[in-house]
Amino acid sequence: MLKKQLAMFSETQIDDEFVVMVLDSGEFLSLSGTAGSIWSLIDGTRGRDAILAALAEEYAVPSSGIERDVDEFLATLADARLVADA
Amino acid sequence: MADRDPQELLKEEARVTYGQVPHGLGGEILAEDSWQLAGDEFLLRDGANHYFHYRKGGGIVIERGEGVDPSVEALWVNGSVYSALACINGFMPIHASAICHDGAVYAFTGESGAGKSTLVTALVAGGFTMFCDDTLVLDLSDPDQIMCLPGHKRLKLTAEALALTGAAQEEKVGQGIEKFYARPAAVYSGDALPLGKLVFLEEGESLAIEDIKGAERLTRLNDDHYTAFHFAAARQFDPASRFAHMARLAGQIEMVRYVRPRDIARFDAGVAHMQGYITGPTQKDPNRR
Repeated sequence: MLKKQLAMFSETQIDDEFVVMVLDSGEFLSLSGTAGSIWSLIDGTRGRDAILAALAEEYAVPSSGIERDVDEFLATLADARLVADA
Repeated sequence: MADRDPQELLKEEARVTYGQVPHGLGGEILAEDSWQLAGDEFLLRDGANHYFHYRKGGGIVIERGEGVDPSVEALWVNGSVYSALACINGFMPIHASAICHDGAVYAFTGESGAGKSTLVTALVAGGFTMFCDDTLVLDLSDPDQIMCLPGHKRLKLTAEALALTGAAQEEKVGQGIEKFYARPAAVYSGDALPLGKLVFLEEGESLAIEDIKGAERLTRLNDDHYTAFHFAAARQFDPASRFAHMARLAGQIEMVRYVRPRDIARFDAGVAHMQGYITGPTQKDPNRR
């Protein structure tokens, strides 16, 4: 399961975008579109495969077509210590 | 936030007396042309010998040393010192000029020289009510709405802006400052009102008024004006609290960008465009531009 590391960031939703501030660095991330969808799907109940499947269903595309982008984005979130395996 | 009427509170806190003041806060002597804000105190030093000190409950005290230029005193008192005392008393000043219409404030912000005062003066000449010039003080004490306090500053315009707007020229703002105090075509509003729109002035070839959406609403709040620095110094936010504050403002303030050419020949058309926007149909009209 992937879980957000709540102590590492603050977030808010404005219109259809998530804005995340990394508390250590003050850096802002703007997450919209598929990035916003992935961020929403990281709720502590899904792992990487379930997130990929849910996203593929939401956007009506084959998982194989988005797998690489999803993995890259999840790696970015993990590198920023915003997300970790529970 | 005090229970008192905010306008009365600020008026009382901004009373000016003359005398000796500390030359530094927290044991540190203040360098020339800089300021310190610590707890309930603010100190500003203009040049070598001109000090402005505010302490909550004690008003503003000005110390005039030798060779000071008294003509700039009103600028400092109504500018930086007022901004700081507003912050110390729990308010949030922003760099904006504003009019009001139908019980809401339309505030125009942008970098110095962006044309905030000029636009507001022209809108007032067109029938709107003046609300403030250069600094808009926000009262955030009601979590459900952001209230604006009417302006405390006199309108200041360049000679070019006076000619454009038809405002009445009064005395020069200060020695070496190429601006004049000006009398707008109508009196200022005296009432605190909710913030209707925050309009960002931008330069572009074609006239356009567009909603600002999403994350940009939050990042637009990263201002580098002294008012923002005073607010940050007074609040002493930790990163999470600062973000929560910005998220609140981004969620509650409707923002638009107003793009117009900086061309005197097209100034009136730009003002008319904004007039039509303010008095026109609601923002929910998808064809609204």
